[in-house]
Amino acid sequence: MLIRLELSSAAPIYRQIVNQVKYQIASGMLRPGDRLPSVRELAQRLPANQNTVLKAYDLLAREHLVNRRPGEGSFILDGVSSLKKSARLRQTAEIFGQAAAQCLQSGVSEKEAHDLLDQEFQKLSKGRKGHE
Amino acid sequence: MSNSSPAIQAINLSKKFGSQEVLRGIDLEVPAGSIFGLLGLNGMGKTTLIRTLLGLLRPDGGECRVEGIDPVANPLEARRRIGYMAENPTMYGWMDVGQIIKWVGSFYPTWDPTRAEELRKKMRLDAKVKVGSLSKGQTSRLAILLALAHRPATVILDDPILGLDPIARRDLLRDVIVHLQGQQVTVFFSSHLLYEIEPICDRVAILHHGKIIQTSTVERMKENIRKIVFQSVDAEKLASIPGLLDIQQVDGQYAVTVENFEAARPRIAQLTRDPMEVLALSMDEAFEAYVTGRREVVHV
Repeated sequence: MLIRLELSSAAPIYRQIVNQVKYQIASGMLRPGDRLPSVRELAQRLPANQNTVLKAYDLLAREHLVNRRPGEGSFILDGVSSLKKSARLRQTAEIFGQAAAQCLQSGVSEKEAHDLLDQEFQKLSKGRKGHE
Repeated sequence: MSNSSPAIQAINLSKKFGSQEVLRGIDLEVPAGSIFGLLGLNGMGKTTLIRTLLGLLRPDGGECRVEGIDPVANPLEARRRIGYMAENPTMYGWMDVGQIIKWVGSFYPTWDPTRAEELRKKMRLDAKVKVGSLSKGQTSRLAILLALAHRPATVILDDPILGLDPIARRDLLRDVIVHLQGQQVTVFFSSHLLYEIEPICDRVAILHHGKIIQTSTVERMKENIRKIVFQSVDAEKLASIPGLLDIQQVDGQYAVTVENFEAARPRIAQLTRDPMEVLALSMDEAFEAYVTGRREVVHV
């Protein structure tokens, strides 16, 4: 599992880890049953504080995206986040808000933005199929 | 971690050099087992604070404890309990790595030669190489080894990444995670490069003009601080926003940075009815707002 920290980002480190794991699940790079590196292992690899990695894994477990089995490790689960729909919509709206602002600033039209979004969906579904 | 007594504690600590007040009432608590970053621009008192905690400088007021020991009364005992890596560690260039490890070890009753040897191998340091011919990265790894092999519960590192190239910096931060956090050692270290050390810190404190102006977990600092861009606002009232860090005027618009958006929100809501933009900040931007922010409207 490849995680890259963006040090100039406004997003807290644990949030960056959570988002990248979610992206890799959505794109099929991480499959149900896959084992995540241990907290200590990922912390040393990044490098990042073990408590930060632990917090990211706990959040993923709380959303039922990851199953943490004591003594065995953390495994990707099959399914979507168990967060309430409203919370998931809020998370997504935040990302879309930033994307919409980026479109306006770069002169990307609404039509072009929708096309780009469609392409991203296609890429992700291709990645998922590629593994099956 | 939270219930045990703090590894380092300072209460109203002050230090003057002549008429210059370098530490002006420092209050600080470093939880046992945490990785704690002391941040500040150069010349703000970081090294003075560290040297005071080690008992190398005598404070003019206030008190401090390290591992429960008062370094003013018992400087030797304090230094035995602490692993210390000085800024630009001066090393004896003519000794080889193996000799300096033995020599430094002779000062510590709790020195563990097996651990020193283990660390030397892990840190890929050749025992036969002269200290003077090590690279900067190797020298700082050696300094960490020397700070660790007497098995201290707390380690103090004075700007360990100063002067290192990006790869050596990452290696050093990784060493901190592997050899220190992995062993539940408390780490207190100073730096002027906030974004570099952010990923490995539990908590940070910002030292500015001899005072701790903020201390918080890294996450909370990032999650609370916000920049608000107003479309229209009565500029004279901006200074009344609680937790104000910075006011900028750009093209007739005002951008205001606040320490805690939720706490400032009610007052902000009174100042304008127009829509406003709320932006999150990177650690560097947050640090900048704390140390160089303008708290009043400047009329150009």
